Amino acid sequence: MIAKLRLWATYFKAALSSILYNRLIYAISVGTIAISLLIFGAFVLLSVNVRNWIQGWGQTLNISVYLKDGIDEGTREKIRAAINALPGAEIRGFISKEKALQDMKGMLGSQAGLLDGLSRNPLPASYEVSFRKVDRKKFEPKRIKEALEKVAGVDEVQYSEQWLDRFEGLLYVLKVGGLAIGGLLCVAVLFIITNTIKLAIYSRRNEIEIYKLVGATDWYVKAPLLIEGALQGALGALIALGILAAVHFALSFRAIQVFGLPFMDFVFLSYSYALGILFLGLVLGLLGSFIAIGRFFKF
Amino acid sequence: MIQLFHVFKTFGPTVALKDIDLRIRTGEFVFVTGPSGAGKTTLLRLIFGAEPPTEGQIVINGINLSRISGTKLDLLRRKIGFVFQDFKLLSRRTVFQNVALALEVTGEKRSMVRKKTHQMLRAVGLAPKEEAYPIELSGGEQQRVAIARAMINDPLILLADEPTGNLDPDITREIMILFRSINLRGTTVVIATHSRELLRNTDQRIVVLHRGKVLE
Repeated sequence: MIAKLRLWATYFKAALSSILYNRLIYAISVGTIAISLLIFGAFVLLSVNVRNWIQGWGQTLNISVYLKDGIDEGTREKIRAAINALPGAEIRGFISKEKALQDMKGMLGSQAGLLDGLSRNPLPASYEVSFRKVDRKKFEPKRIKEALEKVAGVDEVQYSEQWLDRFEGLLYVLKVGGLAIGGLLCVAVLFIITNTIKLAIYSRRNEIEIYKLVGATDWYVKAPLLIEGALQGALGALIALGILAAVHFALSFRAIQVFGLPFMDFVFLSYSYALGILFLGLVLGLLGSFIAIGRFFKF
Repeated sequence: MIQLFHVFKTFGPTVALKDIDLRIRTGEFVFVTGPSGAGKTTLLRLIFGAEPPTEGQIVINGINLSRISGTKLDLLRRKIGFVFQDFKLLSRRTVFQNVALALEVTGEKRSMVRKKTHQMLRAVGLAPKEEAYPIELSGGEQQRVAIARAMINDPLILLADEPTGNLDPDITREIMILFRSINLRGTTVVIATHSRELLRNTDQRIVVLHRGKVLE
């Protein structure tokens, strides 16, 4: 066990010494990895915020409850009570038949005269209802519609399902786009790390030959190279996250200064996302080294 | 100790070794000689397990090289020291670190690595230069570092490929005395050389190779 730990300490020492010796190559490589992961991280940050924003927006669902003509005050009260009994429901206002006609006239503008010929007001009175902070997964507007339409005095319940579907589509595009761009950037990072390690192996081929000559096992030669790759990936990821955090905080501060209020509640990546990017860098580094080593040694 | 049974080695159309049958006993001191291209280096590389024979069997200390690979072969190599004409020292490491390397790869304790390396450097007369880098040493000193590195694991066999090829006659004599003292301690020594000077007046066994065949 102690001998193994001692060997691991030797591997790390060898990896660090190689990084220091080839510092220019490694600096360029880590910089390029950082830029790639920065683009990837920026995309993740943007999509996380847009998704939060859309979901926040989608959390408020508006419905219109149209009433039958000629219902009495008691029935209206019962309808109001039925709406208030729904979880998360909030009545934003009551629009009387007269108000509805007036609004319609307002909307028609110069064409409002068309409505003058009507013998009676055809527009129903309605309650405008908002559902705030609803859980989109559990929320079923169709069931609410059916339940409210059973209440005496309710003529029809309308809600727009289309915009919900559109948001779902937008989220899907973001997800697919993110995966595609992320995938391409991962391939780029892998390519960079593979080539850096290949260069490191090439520049140390005499050293590796001597190691083998004195009886070093394959693992003794490979382990520092794998560590070098992992360190490159992790360091690139840390730099990318650092730059992303700095830019994020600088820009969100400026947004408040310029617009008075930020456009959206722009949040930074959660710990799990940040750790995910760090882990991604580490895994890509290991994988890149593994590929490079595989071309020189047989595993 | 070293047994070769009908060993052939070819590199594409070139035949480097032809039907080599050779036995070297434990503690023997053997010169392998012959003109350039006779197959001396190839023979040593095959004994070291750096390359497999195209045909035939090689048995080292009772272990058939064709039956082992990977880590087992690496571990066997720790029992075989190898010295080259061009020394093969790590230029970024000091004399001490170059010699210690052969122990470090075995996972030996740091205190033991230090102790053994100091001992070995004293034995080859390089203790005062242990902090020097190879480039600061003469050819003879560099070769002594390489011999110290080859000997630090107490190998059963010491192979040397033209070890005095780059050295002047005085230093050559010094290095040969070192090889003899190593042999006297029980290590089997096999030296490949084309130097007639080295073979003159020797009472050691000489294996002559010519166009890949043994003419002993």
